[in-house]
Amino acid sequence: MGWFDGDHLADGSAGLERAKAAAGRGADSGEGSANRVGSRQAFGFAVDFRMASARPQAPLKAVLFREWTLPDGTLWAGFYRTEAGYLLRFPGLADFQLAQDGGRIRCRPVLGVAAATVRHLYLNQVLPLALCQQGKLVLHASAVEIGGEAVACVGVSGRGKSTLAASFATGGYRFLSDDGLVVEPVAGEPHVVPCHPSIRLWEDSQAALVGAGARRAPPLPFTSKARLLAGASVAFCGQPRRLRQVYFLGAGEQCAPAFERMSPAEALIELVKHSFLLDLDEPAPLAAHFNALAELARRPIFHRLDYPRRYADLPEVRRAIVKHACGEEGTA
Amino acid sequence: MKLTDKVAIPAQVMARQVGEETVILDLASSTYYGLDPVGARLWVLLSEGKTLGETCAALLDEYEVEPARLERDVFGLVDELAGRGLVALEPG
Repeated sequence: MGWFDGDHLADGSAGLERAKAAAGRGADSGEGSANRVGSRQAFGFAVDFRMASARPQAPLKAVLFREWTLPDGTLWAGFYRTEAGYLLRFPGLADFQLAQDGGRIRCRPVLGVAAATVRHLYLNQVLPLALCQQGKLVLHASAVEIGGEAVACVGVSGRGKSTLAASFATGGYRFLSDDGLVVEPVAGEPHVVPCHPSIRLWEDSQAALVGAGARRAPPLPFTSKARLLAGASVAFCGQPRRLRQVYFLGAGEQCAPAFERMSPAEALIELVKHSFLLDLDEPAPLAAHFNALAELARRPIFHRLDYPRRYADLPEVRRAIVKHACGEEGTA
Repeated sequence: MKLTDKVAIPAQVMARQVGEETVILDLASSTYYGLDPVGARLWVLLSEGKTLGETCAALLDEYEVEPARLERDVFGLVDELAGRGLVALEPG
């Protein structure tokens, strides 16, 4: 089985996945002969991603500097410093070696772990961090195209950013990203660069929003979220779009869509909280990251948005967002 | 805390002005702190190495405020910043 069996690109995709390689068949004998799975080159992105043969995860001598844990306390990922950069270990699933400059990723899965699982880890967890190491701004946000420009929704997991993106993408609009939103300057203006043409949704959101005809990636063992693939029923925009508005999603305490303008300082604090960042101990990249976020935060494009979390209300929420996004002036 | 004291800003603390406010970020503790325009001005003066007394004098020139009230407010804010690890007091 190839790495990307069961998944494929939307026509015209020009984002991170455009350069998907057809290689990456099976596993081979070791580190030195790692398969080339894909180089991503679009809009200046370049991540050389290869896969080595599966083997058990041996204890590491490298220095652990960060951990991600699940709500029940289970270790989800460990971050280690190595001579060449970093090693991200997902216990029982895979190791990812990441070059210091974020330009190269080597993955070694644990024997028996499905290709779809490793692919998920790569796209959702590792690739955004690699792009951060390249100095790019990556936000926990989804984005859709409204009036030829990008409108982003930012929030922690569970706030509904993917559901909103799916609602737009199945309601006459196109989505650019469902998470790991990359913001790049183009001619001095921030643009959203489309990423992987898929949206991850929980089962209830899938049932409410998407018909049986939508294409889905293979299910993963550790989540009931499914990855909906872009296509005729889930529309994807494969070109960069100027960032017009950014909405930070509230907890669903309002009974109707409510917008509140944020000050630049509020926006900066929220951007810091919701941006991907791998290493907090490297002062120079951190200062550059903070500078870039501050420059973005100075733009009058940030609002808090809250709305009731009822699927039946999503069309009204969409209309309110379109009206607000198109009505807001002074976005330059 | 005395008027001759200065503050040092730890290496892991960064501040950026956005609009009229300033956001301070402590990378070590992931603490974020927002300063209003007056607080932002105080931060600039302190980060230039001025003593608390010199900072108060500069602010008195710039704002209409009672000296005793200003000194109380400056000491209060510096105390709060120090408590959050965003500045370290250097006795003068």
